[in-house]
Parts: sequence; C-alpha cells; structure tokens
Amino acid sequence: MLIINNIVKQYAAHRALDDVSLRVEKGKIFGLLGPNGAGKTSLIRIITQITGPDSGEVLFNGERLNVQHISQIGYLPEERGLYKKMEIGEQVLYLARLKGLSTAEATKRIRYWFEKLDMADWWNKKVEDLSKGMQQKVQFVATVLHKPELIILDEPFSGFDPVNADVIKNEILELNKEGATFIFSTHRMESVEELCDNIALIHRSKKILDGPMAEIKAQYRNNTYWLEYQGEYNTENAREIFEVLEHANIAGKTRLKIKIRENQNANQVLAALLPYVAISRLDEVIPTMNDIFIEKVTQQS
Amino acid sequence: MNKILLIIQREYLSRVKKKSFIVMTLLTPIIIAAFYGLIIYFSIEGVKGTHSKVAVVNNNKALTEQLSSNKNISYTYVGQSLEDLKASFKKSDYDYILYLPPFELSKPTGIQLLGTKQAGLSLNGRISGDVENMIRNQKLKASGIAQADLDGLKTNVDIDNKKIGESGKEEDSSAGASTIIGTVAGILMFMFIMLYGIQVMRGVIEEKTSRIIEIMISSVKPFQLMMGKIVGIALVGLTQFILWIVLTASISTVAVTAFVGKDKLKESSGMVLKAKDGTTINTPATATVDSPVLSMQKSLASLPLTKIILVFIFFFIGGYLFYSALYAAIGSAVDSETETQQFMMPVMMPLLVGYALSLSVVANDPYGPIAFWLSMIPFTSPIAMVVRLPYGVPDWQLALSMLILVVGFIGTVWLASRIYRVGILMYGKKTSLKEMIKWFSYKN
Repeated sequence: MLIINNIVKQYAAHRALDDVSLRVEKGKIFGLLGPNGAGKTSLIRIITQITGPDSGEVLFNGERLNVQHISQIGYLPEERGLYKKMEIGEQVLYLARLKGLSTAEATKRIRYWFEKLDMADWWNKKVEDLSKGMQQKVQFVATVLHKPELIILDEPFSGFDPVNADVIKNEILELNKEGATFIFSTHRMESVEELCDNIALIHRSKKILDGPMAEIKAQYRNNTYWLEYQGEYNTENAREIFEVLEHANIAGKTRLKIKIRENQNANQVLAALLPYVAISRLDEVIPTMNDIFIEKVTQQS
Repeated sequence: MNKILLIIQREYLSRVKKKSFIVMTLLTPIIIAAFYGLIIYFSIEGVKGTHSKVAVVNNNKALTEQLSSNKNISYTYVGQSLEDLKASFKKSDYDYILYLPPFELSKPTGIQLLGTKQAGLSLNGRISGDVENMIRNQKLKASGIAQADLDGLKTNVDIDNKKIGESGKEEDSSAGASTIIGTVAGILMFMFIMLYGIQVMRGVIEEKTSRIIEIMISSVKPFQLMMGKIVGIALVGLTQFILWIVLTASISTVAVTAFVGKDKLKESSGMVLKAKDGTTINTPATATVDSPVLSMQKSLASLPLTKIILVFIFFFIGGYLFYSALYAAIGSAVDSETETQQFMMPVMMPLLVGYALSLSVVANDPYGPIAFWLSMIPFTSPIAMVVRLPYGVPDWQLALSMLILVVGFIGTVWLASRIYRVGILMYGKKTSLKEMIKWFSYKN
C-alpha cells in the first residue's frame, strides 16, 4: 500500500529524517512510534504531502506519491482544531468538499456519521460551544468522511474520555475491517497493543525497529516467568533450573519472578516444585510494547 | 482550482455574514450622509441666520455717503438722538445701534456699536468693513471722482479653472474638487489596505492558533489557502466599497432633501441653469448663499468620476494584494496578534509615509517629481496615484504605474507564499526576521 524508501529530510541544521524506509501493508493497522521530536510528524507530513522529502521516494499503491492521492488519504493531525466561528455541519461539509466530495454526497455522509456517533443535533452548533472531546469527534468524522484508503491518526485518543475513546477505537476497527489501512502515531502503548498489526519505532530521525508486533514481542521474550505458590520450598534446590529475580510474600503466598536457565523449560520448574507446594500460577512475562519502547530508546541514548 | 474557489467562498461568506460587517456597511453611509446633509444645511441656514438690523445714528455732517444694506446687515438711518434711541432700544426691533460721532475723515475715532448683546467677531468685522468702505468712498468723492467712475472701480473676479485637454479643447476643472476627491480617495485607499490587509493577517493567525491549519493543508496547498483567503477578503472589501458608494449616494439624496427641503433644491438647481446660460443674475440677498455648495457640485460633475472609480478599484485591488500578501506572511510567522508588532513596522512604514506624503506634497504639487515617483513605487503608488488622479495624470504614467504594481504584487505574493508555507506549521516558536529569510530558501 505505502512504501517509503530512504527518505531524508533536512531542516537547516536539524536532520528530521535520516534514511527512513518503511512498508505499510494494505488493510493493516501500522503503529508509528517514537519519543517526542523523533521525526514522526515530519514523516507523516511527507506522506500527506504537506512537505516533500529532500531525497528518497514514497510509493502509494505502487505509484509515486502525487496530488491525486490527497483525496485517498485522511489525516487527523496531533495539532488539530476547527474554525471557531463556523457551524459544525457547515465546517465538516467544507472540509469534505475540499477533499473532492460533492455537496450532496458529503451532506449524506455527514448525516450518517453524525447519527452514528450521537452528534445528530450538533449540525448548527458552533465549534466554540463544544467541549474538547466533542471537537475531537467532529475532527474524526472530517478525517474519515471521504472514505480514504489510508487514514493517518496522530494521537487520536488525546482529549477523549474513556467512553468516547472506546467509541472511536471501535470505529477504527470497523473501518479497518472494511479495508481501510491505518497509520497510527501515539505515545500510548496500551492502545498500540490493542490495535496495531505492525509497528515501526523512530528515534533521533532514524528507524530503529520495525516489523509485525507479535514477532517483535516474541523477540523480546527472555524466559522470565511469574511463579506463585503456597507452602514452603527452598529455591536454592532448584538453582540449576531457574534463577530468582524478585521475591515477595503476599497473603500467605509466595510470588517469584524467575528466569529459567538455558536448556531448561517451564515443565521442569513444575516438576521440581510439584511435590512440595501448591502451585497457583506460572506464566510467562511477555514484554509490553512499553517495555520494548523504553528499552530500545534508552539503549540508543 | 476548484479548491481555491471553495476557499474564496468560505472566506467571503463567513465575513459577509458577520454582524459586524453588516452593521459597518449600513452604518457608515448613514454617518457620511448625515455629515454631508449637515454641512449643506449649515452652509445655507448658517449664513441666512445671522441677519442683523442696525440703526445708524449719524452725527457727522461730513459723511454724506450712506451705509448700504446687504445680505447680512440692514442699516437704517434714524433721525433720533443717541440718548433717545438708547432709551427706547428695548422696544425697537433693532439688534444694534451704530453711532457715528463727528470726526475728521482722516482720523475716524469714537465710532460705537451698541446693543444688549455683544456683537460677534464676524458681525463686528463686517460692520467695520462697511464703514471703512463708506469713508473711502467719501474720501474719493471729496477728491472729485464721479459716482459712475466709483461704481466702475468695483470688480469681482472669479477664476474659472479650465484645463487644456489632449485635443486642445478646454475642459472644466476645479482645484478644490480635485483636492477633496483626491484626499478622500487617498484616505479610503489607506483605510482599505490597512483594514483588509490586517484582516488577512488575523485570518492566518486564527487558522494557526485554532490549529485548523494542519487539517487544511493536508487537503490543499498552502499557496491555495493563502490566495483563497486573500482573494476572498478582497471581495469582501469590494462588496463593502460598492455598497458604501451606492448606499451613500442614495441616502445622501434622501438626507439632503430632508434637511434642506425641496424648495431650496429647486431654487438652487434653477440658479445653476441660469448660470450656465450665461445670463447675469441680479444679486438679491439669497443669491450667493448656495453658491459654494453648488460650485462644488458643479465641479464634481466636471471630474471623470467613472474613470476615477475604476482606477480606484484597480489600485485598491493591486495595493491590497501587494500588502495583504506581506500581512499573510507576517501572520504565518507568529502565534498571536501581540507578536506581530516587530514585523508590522517595516510593512506599515512605507504605507504611512506614502499616505502622509500623498496628502501633503502630492496634493500640493500633483505634477512634481515627488508625486511622480510616489505614484510609481508600488509601496506608495496605490495612495499617491488616487490622490493625483483627479488633477489629471498622463495615460502613460497611469499605465506604467499599474504595470509596476502588478509586477510588484506578483513579487510579494511569491515571496510571501514561500514564508507562509513554512510559517504556518511552526507553533510555539518565536520567529525572528532572520529566520523568516531562512525559511525563504527552504525546499518544499
């Protein structure tokens, strides 16, 4: 769907993007991650044709990115707003027509979306009368109204209360099911875990990690487990099998974080302990995106 | 292209629909018309209202000449003594008593003006002028000049301004009307460029602070957005200007009729006709009353008003485009209106200087070298040219000035668009002029 090859973008003394290459698969949700100032927004602005790269190329469905593609991309920027004095309906209509929709078609779709998101009576309201969360909803509608193939969301959940965040999340998933591809830029790793198929991590203008999220997480598994049991057991006896990283006693139970040694596995842990204690939990500690993010970024610094 | 039209449409409608626009557009012509009506009203009523009756007590045997009444003062020679008159003054319908004591003609002293109220400065001046005239006539007579010769000495001169046109034909012209039209056009031009240029800047800042800008430019090119805004606001300005002309003209007519009354209008238009016929008019008391207003109206009609309005519109659009592009660039570089000051100065200066010089130097010497250069340089030409225009500007100068202005605004629009496209995406940074110049060389 979207192939980015060796993009370089230089702003005076600052190199915002340094030889960044990415592939966004059709129909997937792609997470674009990275700390503040890493170059995410610069990359997004190149994809949305707000700016152009100094070198490198962007292919959209195999074609070099050009003006024709503007109407196939929906962009919800992080810094977003609306004309304060304009009425909501009029405003969304204006934005939709700028994307190339006819007035009639745009009106029809706005009514559909307003109905769907409980905004039906907002048409004649002015933006200044809406709360921030309500404005975000309007902006979301404006972003997806022209049925873009590629939807780019920059921090889409900021400003939403949990209920509305959930509403929007479901809309994203539904649109995705209907075939829309998403690029999703955020700091909130829990929403990345919930939504993304693939991710790329950008740090200091360079891409430092990318791939399917499941694979990346698998790579970062390191045989760490939570082990919980009731009863007395001297872990020194199982020294050959695992090493104890953390130790805690909670409500009469012992909870350990253990690292299983090379060539050993969880079955051997169970076998060693079963005769002595009542095991209530043994599960693998799978690194969260948050852990991976922090690890990768601090490692690079 | 279609997108630019959409942007123009929004920029235009959102402003024209505003209450403040509607109020301004309707109120201004009413105020102008009210002023116009008041001026005419006072120029007629005011002159007529100061008519005074003066009783003259002449105790000077040497004065055989008499004061003759005129439109402001009627003199009545009474035979009573000063004391008698003073005693019965309150019952009489005289406003003042003029007492002429015996005196040598060469040294007239002791002349008194008596009344229950102090005579105003202008009345005093008029009476003393009349007395001086009388004494001079008396002296001239004493030296043996006949009355007929004396009358022959009086000459009234009116300079009729004629301009020799291209074909050598005489054209009516009037320095007074040219000055007024030129000044009004200059002030209007200055106001328009300022007002609407700043609206462009506000609009850009609004888009930046409300953060709609990034949503917008993911759909349209920054250049389209900037031009759409500039053109949309220009149309708002033109709409307002045309409405003002139409409304002022129609309200003025109504207002003048209401203030002055139909009779007087008829009377004055009758006089214009007579004057055009060349027939001499006897000068009764009221004949000269309306003439300043009338001669102004007559000379207004002699100016090529259609040409002036068309050229005004051209220079308004040109000058507005020239400056508003710069204002757009400023707006793009700042986060709020309070930060605009440092950039406003360099843009405002040439406009202010052009304004000040146009209303002084150019209006006094519309054909001089300063006038010429000011009306050529695009920073000042919109104002200087409309000030010069009523005096008559050679066509080649007009054409050259227009051409330079067109080249000028293409230049500023291009320059501004390069700053604008970078500036609109910079939030929360203090921008210096140096940085703006750096943006200029950024690639897309």
